[in-house]
Amino acid sequence: MKRVLALVLALCLALSLAACGGGNSTSQPAAGGSGSQGGGEGYTEDITLKVANYAILESGYTEFWEGVKAGFEEKYPNITIEWVTAPYGEITNQVINMAGGGDMVDVIFSELIWIPTFVEAGLAAPAEEMLDEDFLADFYPNVLEAHQVDGLTYGVPLYASSCVLYYNKDIFEAAGLDPNAPPTTYEEMLAMAEQIDGMTTADGNKIYSFGVPTASVAVSGSFLNSVVYNFGGSVLAEDGTLAIDDGFTEAFEMIKLLDDKEYMPQNAKAKDLRNLFALGQLAMYYDQSWGFNGVSSINPDASSFTASAMPLKGGDGNGAGTLQSHCFVMVNNGDAQAWAAKEFVQYVITPEVLNDYMNNITPAYPVKNDMADCLPAMLEASADATTQAIPVPLVPALNDFNLELCTLAQAVTVSDKDVNTAIADFETAANAILAG
Amino acid sequence: MKRRQTLSSILKYFVLAVILLFLLFPLYWVLITSFKTNMEAYAFPPSFIPKSPTVESYINLFTVNNVFFVYYKNNFIVSGISAALTVLVALLSGYALSRFHFRWNGWIVAAFLSAQMFPMISRLISLYGLMRGMHLINTHPGLILALTAAMLPFSIMLMSSFFDSVPVAVEESARIDGAGRFGVLFRIVVPLVKPGILAVGIYSFLLAWDDYLHAATLIQTDGLRTLSIGIALRYLGELSYDWSLINTISIVGTIPMLLLFFFFQKYMVKGLVAGAVKG
Amino acid sequence: MSKASVPARRLKAATGDKLFSLGLLLPAILLTFVFILVPVIDSIIKSFTEYKIKNVISGQPGTWNNFENYIKLFQNDKLMPAIITTFIFVFAVVIAQFLIGFILAVILDSKIRGSRFLRSIMMMPWVVPTMISGMVWLWIYQPQYGLLRYLVQVVTGGSVLDFAILNNPNTALLGIGIAALWKQVPLTTLLLLAGLQSVPNDMLEAATVDGASTLRRFVSIVIPYMMSVIKVTVSMSIIENFKQFPLFWTMTGGGPDGSTTTLAILSYREAFVSNNLGSGAAVTTVWMLLMILVVFVYNKIFRAEPMD
Repeated sequence: MKRVLALVLALCLALSLAACGGGNSTSQPAAGGSGSQGGGEGYTEDITLKVANYAILESGYTEFWEGVKAGFEEKYPNITIEWVTAPYGEITNQVINMAGGGDMVDVIFSELIWIPTFVEAGLAAPAEEMLDEDFLADFYPNVLEAHQVDGLTYGVPLYASSCVLYYNKDIFEAAGLDPNAPPTTYEEMLAMAEQIDGMTTADGNKIYSFGVPTASVAVSGSFLNSVVYNFGGSVLAEDGTLAIDDGFTEAFEMIKLLDDKEYMPQNAKAKDLRNLFALGQLAMYYDQSWGFNGVSSINPDASSFTASAMPLKGGDGNGAGTLQSHCFVMVNNGDAQAWAAKEFVQYVITPEVLNDYMNNITPAYPVKNDMADCLPAMLEASADATTQAIPVPLVPALNDFNLELCTLAQAVTVSDKDVNTAIADFETAANAILAG
Repeated sequence: MKRRQTLSSILKYFVLAVILLFLLFPLYWVLITSFKTNMEAYAFPPSFIPKSPTVESYINLFTVNNVFFVYYKNNFIVSGISAALTVLVALLSGYALSRFHFRWNGWIVAAFLSAQMFPMISRLISLYGLMRGMHLINTHPGLILALTAAMLPFSIMLMSSFFDSVPVAVEESARIDGAGRFGVLFRIVVPLVKPGILAVGIYSFLLAWDDYLHAATLIQTDGLRTLSIGIALRYLGELSYDWSLINTISIVGTIPMLLLFFFFQKYMVKGLVAGAVKG
Repeated sequence: MSKASVPARRLKAATGDKLFSLGLLLPAILLTFVFILVPVIDSIIKSFTEYKIKNVISGQPGTWNNFENYIKLFQNDKLMPAIITTFIFVFAVVIAQFLIGFILAVILDSKIRGSRFLRSIMMMPWVVPTMISGMVWLWIYQPQYGLLRYLVQVVTGGSVLDFAILNNPNTALLGIGIAALWKQVPLTTLLLLAGLQSVPNDMLEAATVDGASTLRRFVSIVIPYMMSVIKVTVSMSIIENFKQFPLFWTMTGGGPDGSTTTLAILSYREAFVSNNLGSGAAVTTVWMLLMILVVFVYNKIFRAEPMD
């Protein structure tokens, strides 16, 4: 605490001195030019860059982000990063409320599915307007597309993931399965699940065969959406209307089946599944690749038994999942701020900064040509997961819609409703939300 | 007859034991979990006495996760000042409502009573804009004022019932001795309602300590956050649970309240009871 | 002091009293007005407008939308289930709380060893912050390692292996109700105990001499005497449970399958998850109206009851 205080004091002092010394420096770029495009030129005045970041509060990530701040501030001595923090579930409200008070953040570390909220609020600025063209051109097109609303890119991904299958090699071995041959289809998975069913851990706890998050959190909806894509189904049309089909029904029939057979932990959040997986009580589950950070924070030895696999194929589907990412949403707060924001984003999304992070802290798939080598070993088996992933249409009511998907999954599992009835109920509710 | 009595006595003790078990066992459960390692906490069937008790999660809380204590300290500051302010304002208003009976009293009481009923969420949306307009957003003074306002209605009613029990004659004799209005209030009457002051003070401290929604809306800087919201965001995060740590936090977060309660329970019990029985 | 000046002084004293009284009330009125009444009225106004986050950011007032927020809520089939869930919760918790509290109070009031000590330790759950009591119960209910799962296994002789109270739509509300009871029963007991102790002993003794049964004594002497305490206790508990939010939000977030979506959760979800503040305000307006209605009806019923 004292150290932080001292740091803050020192910083204030430095700032006030700088302000005195540089009395003449106005907001003119040192090398002329007013746009943020084109790069090269910089601002020499003192800039405070406000970065909204929930991850800084989560112990698994704090160190990395503090390192980013230190490294960036060393490179750009005139820019100071100020973290704006809130819990994962509240950060969007926080940023919006602050903006309502005239207090604008410059960059938001965001989930892909939050982008529509920031666009709807009129906060997000298109990356085409904020970033250097060649920087943007280096991204994989299908990934960037997933971050677009009306043809403009509103989120700049650091890395991406699909809902990949993590499985426990030790459990596979104990069940007499080949630990290097994970299932590729739902049928294979069901057969393996049956073999695993009934096993217990050393201290007598049940081992669940398979897990998908279904608890009421918006992100669970992305996983369910992914299962639908696995079956070649669709959820939302391009224009943001409901477009459910047979694949959709098959997906929820599968979820019901998994529940009826008691293979799946009920009403679980992603973090519940990570917990079970870390403790060896879950053989296979869907997670974003970076969810492994949560696993290893519970059980540091987890990497010894964890392996990844491609999402499962079901029905007529080819096993595509939803594309998910952690991305930067940028706000345009005038030339100087926008310049600093650009420099920050372009500083972070580089192999130098992210390589170690993606390999050792949160496994994730690269999204840019110059980062192709950053793919962590653990994900090599599922390297194509993001290339074939399908983006979710970024409709304004996406969060609420995702919650409705969770309610549907709960209806067919814990409520034990008939799939068709539950889908009919879902359609009513979903249409109302989408009509917003 | 005798047998029936023993039977009913046995029944009585049985029911008592069941209810007390329900009320107290969860606390014991949290306490022992806080002394377990995470691996033991996740064992099933659970152990009712820690096999190898450890203070690891306490050490962890004090060393690694010590941001907790920033929330803790903030909660003390905010709850303490809110309670003091509530007592002061309730003292004045309670006295006014108890001693002077004007036509507007009915309206004011009605306004207070209905204010007490409005759920916080209904105010959340507008409160934010309002506080922003007053430049009180993201500040402790703002949070304190909002909390005080929320606790006032009940506190005033409680305080007023204490003033009711002070005979008017006491004041009149002081008046005759030449004391002014404030003199009478602060030198004569206030000392007589000390138990009420303590009751209101502790009651509002408890309520402020419990607050979640006000702080969730009005505070944005991590360093200013209070306990409930701090715990929610930092320790019930998206990544994972650490149940031993959560149980440790539950214990450490509850202890000051327990101490406060056991220390002042005489006043608090009397005060709340007096207020409720009369009100 | 001449006799003639007395009325004049009285008059002055009366205006003085008025000013003094108003002055004393002013801080409380101001605070209540600014932080409670104004936001409530503002929120009612917003409930009739289209008010979204865009408005928050630009500071533009909402636009009138012909009761659309309300119409939509009813059409979506969201409001009625939430109202029903809220009522079930309030009704069940208030009654259970009263019964348990009353039984415990009667036992503690009877001559029992260590009753003073028991009285003070039974209050412990009351001082546990709501947020923490939510965590305490979440841990007990934990589906894989929870104490409750174990107890259910033992009690049912192993026939029910996996009992996860919050994962089942039929029991989730019960799970939260238990947590609410845990925190609230102590205060109810305390207040009822005080009520019991205010019943004059000589009346009870007289009734005993007359040969009245225990039940008889209760119904005709104790209950009427305690009526005012009961009334306050129950109305406090109605308000508290009607407003309950943190327990729901931390324990289930309204799930599973919407089974614990109360008005509090619905309004929070509308306003802060869907970012439709106008619609959220409409829910809270309905909520407030219902609450006022319930308290009003409650007061009516209790007043109608013959007291003597």
